[in-house]
Amino acid sequence: MSAITLLQFFAQALFVVIFVVVAFDAVRRPRRATIDIALLFAVVSLAVAEGWLTSALDVTPGRWLSAISGSLLMALPYLLLRLVDDFTRVPRWLARGALVAFVLAVVGLFALPSPLPGWIALVYVIDFVGLEVYGAVKFLQEAARSSGVTRRRMEAVAAGSFLLGLVILAAGFAIVAPRLDWLWSGVANLSALASGVAYFLGFAPPSILRRAWQEPELRAFLGRAANLPRLPTTRAIVREFEAGAAAALGAPAASIGRWDESDGMLYFFHQEGNATAIPEPDPLDQPRFVNTPDTLAIVPGVTLGGRSFAEQRAIFSEDAARDDPANAAVYASSGALAVLAAPITAGSRRLGVLTVYAPSAPIFAEDDLQLVQLLADQAAVILESRALIDEAARVQAREEAARLKDDFLSAAAHDLKTPLTTLVAQAQLLERRAQRQPAAPADAEGIQRIVRESQRLRDLVLELLDASRAEQGRLVGLVEPVDIVDLAREICGRHSSERHRCLVDADGPVVGEYDPLRISQMVENLVENAVKYSPAGGEVRVKVSREGETGRLSVSDQGIGIPPADLPFIFGRFHRGTNVDDRRFSGMGLGLFICRGIAEEHGGRIWVESPAGRGTTFHVEMPLAAGVLTT
Amino acid sequence: MSDAPILVVDDDSSIRATISEILELEGYPVEVATNGAEALKSIERARPALVLLDMRMPVLDGWGFARELQQRGLHLPVLVMTAAQNARRWAEEIGADGYIAKPFELDELLVAVERRYGPPPR
Repeated sequence: MSAITLLQFFAQALFVVIFVVVAFDAVRRPRRATIDIALLFAVVSLAVAEGWLTSALDVTPGRWLSAISGSLLMALPYLLLRLVDDFTRVPRWLARGALVAFVLAVVGLFALPSPLPGWIALVYVIDFVGLEVYGAVKFLQEAARSSGVTRRRMEAVAAGSFLLGLVILAAGFAIVAPRLDWLWSGVANLSALASGVAYFLGFAPPSILRRAWQEPELRAFLGRAANLPRLPTTRAIVREFEAGAAAALGAPAASIGRWDESDGMLYFFHQEGNATAIPEPDPLDQPRFVNTPDTLAIVPGVTLGGRSFAEQRAIFSEDAARDDPANAAVYASSGALAVLAAPITAGSRRLGVLTVYAPSAPIFAEDDLQLVQLLADQAAVILESRALIDEAARVQAREEAARLKDDFLSAAAHDLKTPLTTLVAQAQLLERRAQRQPAAPADAEGIQRIVRESQRLRDLVLELLDASRAEQGRLVGLVEPVDIVDLAREICGRHSSERHRCLVDADGPVVGEYDPLRISQMVENLVENAVKYSPAGGEVRVKVSREGETGRLSVSDQGIGIPPADLPFIFGRFHRGTNVDDRRFSGMGLGLFICRGIAEEHGGRIWVESPAGRGTTFHVEMPLAAGVLTT
Repeated sequence: MSDAPILVVDDDSSIRATISEILELEGYPVEVATNGAEALKSIERARPALVLLDMRMPVLDGWGFARELQQRGLHLPVLVMTAAQNARRWAEEIGADGYIAKPFELDELLVAVERRYGPPPR
């Protein structure tokens, strides 16, 4: 037995073994893809068996036998095209054309004289090689589009198709150049062997190989998974997880539905770029789908994902539209033919569902259910840690807010008690003096202190009361036409001194519908602050202008500025500047909070600019008319 | 007793003036300081017999003042007076002889002072 015959025998035996394996699979799971694969290997095995029989019985293949083996051979490219159609899409006309070509080829083999005329044989070879190459290219395209296990499988199948084409090509060369027969038959047999192995691995990979091909993606994904809970948003976590789960299964897409206990719906983020089509709601029914710009919400039990969640079990469907016809449109719009779904559950807490889907059925296998459940469990861990991190952040924020409030209240109490201390003690002192020395002249200084401290106390109390009105949005009362320029000039004039000049820039009156008392209060506060924080000789500038239907006012100083870290908080309720020694200046530090309330209740806004070392500018912008948000 | 003054330390000028006048009316000699640092200078010069100490002050606060006293080995009766909620704890923290909470009654102040200083010298 020569090496080539041994090789040939080995290749043939392998095909028969593979046929037994895939036939067993097709009987166990009779689906289009498994049957097509079994048919492909059945055809090859039949051809092999026929060869063995003829050589064992030592008969020369007659005309009919040759026609039968030729027909079997010509069935191969047609079956391959069917498999291409199982994994990706083949145009309808091509599928039909290939079938017609196959039938014509069989008819030709039986009807035409043997051997076939040269040009007809050429047509056969072109048909065969053309379809093989087409299949190979389609599988390569599919490989480029997919990832992980599916990519490996598509690459294997593409290689098998090229190799099968090579077999026929070598047979052709054997006719053209018979002197190199040993070479052509060697190439043909080796290619046949390799193509058989490649087809087997690609079309019907044993579980162990599927796992091995899934492993790199799975490992990479699990490596990233530990960091997922720290991503900035839940949306980012879900997106990353969906991409990782899809890659691990070699599927184009996956989608996580999060269970919202409050309304009992499962929330899926829409896939990038396309919203899911949902069926027209039955007006008498409670809606089963709710589309929002961001999410699709479904009622548990609806769609295969919803069913997996409701029944708390992993589900595999090779044809979602067949298994759940009511929602066929949903699957079609999300490109889902085959669906894998597993509940995301942590202990007894139901968190949601993980669905992975593919546009072609044979991408998934039954044992992928375990992998999907594993990924869903991983999702449960990640979503739970995310919830814990969120909760911890909320608790921290609450504690921080409570601390700020406590600090503020004790500072406020301290501030109120200070003038009160003088008032009480000084009043009692006056009383004692009057009793002991009734004839003594009035204590002018003591009386002055009482007046001054009672005014200070009044200001503090009013500030607190205004802050509480601001909190409720009830600062602004009746509005009337107010000229802000006039008002700014008057306030600036009162605060201008030798130490600080206050200047107003304006081209003409700017009249708006405002609450005059509150606008004065705001401008006064801003000018007062600017003067307070200005160095000796520093200038305070107030600019008033009209921009369309909006009045604008800005107050600038040349003072110490506001540290960048304080900027986001200065309009807040309980904030005092960190670089300000608050003993030097009176007040509760609520002035800017109240200013913000005044600007916002007039339908406007207030903001601040404080470039390092270049002073501070407060800007106010308020619509001139009808901007008032009174309650 | 001696004519050693009572040192009133407070950054609020009205409170300073009012307390001084109350004590002077009763016949106590009084010195004033606007913060802890000034108070330390005043101690060397005037040798007070009692310090009425506000806690929250600029430059050097009540805690800094008490620490400085300790470091210099000076043992002076100190009466903390503060508007803060935790007057008592603060007084304990700095090892003061007692506290009065602002706002206080005139007699409250006088009783607390007399207990530590004794009756007015004149």
